[in-house]
Amino acid sequence: MTCEEFEAMGLDAERDASLSAAERAAANEHAGTCSRCAALQDSWQAAGVELGAFAEDTAMAQAPARVEMRLRQEFRTRHVTLKVRRTAVIAAWALAAAAVLVGAVSWINWRKGSPNEMPNELKSTPSVTNSAGNTANSVPNPVAPVQGGGAVQQRGSAGAAASQTLVAENELSGFTFLPGAVVTDAGDAAILRVRLQRGALGALGLPVNEELANEWIQVDLLVGDDGLPQAVRLPQ
Amino acid sequence: MRTAKNVVPGEMRIAEQERDDVLLRRAARGDEEAFTLIYRRHQAATYRFALRMTGNSWAAEEIVQDVFMTLMRDPKKYDATRGALGAFLYGVARNRVMKHLERLPREIPLEEKNEDGTGCGIVLQDALTPAIWAEKRERLRQVRAAVQELPVEFREAVVLCELEEMSYEEAAQMAGCPIGTIRSRLHRGRALLMAKLEIFRGVPRRASVAR
Repeated sequence: MTCEEFEAMGLDAERDASLSAAERAAANEHAGTCSRCAALQDSWQAAGVELGAFAEDTAMAQAPARVEMRLRQEFRTRHVTLKVRRTAVIAAWALAAAAVLVGAVSWINWRKGSPNEMPNELKSTPSVTNSAGNTANSVPNPVAPVQGGGAVQQRGSAGAAASQTLVAENELSGFTFLPGAVVTDAGDAAILRVRLQRGALGALGLPVNEELANEWIQVDLLVGDDGLPQAVRLPQ
Repeated sequence: MRTAKNVVPGEMRIAEQERDDVLLRRAARGDEEAFTLIYRRHQAATYRFALRMTGNSWAAEEIVQDVFMTLMRDPKKYDATRGALGAFLYGVARNRVMKHLERLPREIPLEEKNEDGTGCGIVLQDALTPAIWAEKRERLRQVRAAVQELPVEFREAVVLCELEEMSYEEAAQMAGCPIGTIRSRLHRGRALLMAKLEIFRGVPRRASVAR
């Protein structure tokens, strides 16, 4: 082994695992015979000791705790933001899906319901309310049938829709004949339950308390063959 | 980056049975504890490498933070099939160190004593007189300065092989170069280092190390 080879490989021959046993032995032999290379090796070993002291000096080095704190804070911020964003996206999609579903169901119902509802709508000549207690659809016409499609007409077997509608009592008792009404055969008359404002009773010739004139009430009208009310009854 | 013999007492050794890639997957799903475990497992080695390369604790701190931010932002960059997480982090740290050194090529290493445990090196004990302590302190400062003055590639070889106590194979793998290159860089680095140390000691410089 030459001096140059020794400098390149032999200084750290014991540690260099890539050297063969023969190369290692040659390095040792060279160091034993060449005083210059032996001095170089000694110098390197001295430097190695000092490097070891330097390594020991920094062996305990760790990143300060504030680095971990900063990283954890950043981690939290990052992942909370992601979580919120993900939740918002999911919520938006859920709302959109719900809207589509509602729209689809409404459309299907409308498609199914429109052929049947048509005749009923045609039958209900006056404006209607959907339920007895619903005053939202109150109408300018003071006299309105209680159920639109199932306007309560009971003439013979005409009460077929009775299960769906509010049915007036079939009894003729309790009726008060309107002033000036011409009494006809009760067999041809019909009982019609309507919602009207109390004031409208005045138009039928009945006395009305002015303070309650705007109050909505249900009344049964006995309507004659000629379509004119003959008698009135307050079912409540 | 660190062999078992170099594990510092008191350093975090939590849940070592959990593999890094498993922890990293958990961290990617938002598990802060998993991320913290990864950090505690690798921060010291990353910091030591950055500190020894830059000689500046502030720069080392910044580099460590940068390395783990990279891991946090894009954990998919690490591919477990290509190697250990420590090697990946070392690679990222190495890039950051090189960038830092390019930015500040003439930065003078500071003599510091910070909360990271570096800088004092020698604890004044009963057996040490203040004079001995001061002398050793001065020697350490000289070694540190000599290491910092080495060209970057030589410094890296010296840091990996002499300070991190890696084998030549490991160092070559970390530096991404053939083993012969590492040996050559180490040889040149040693020569320069010895020359600098001899200058510090006041020993006449040998012709052999001047090459």
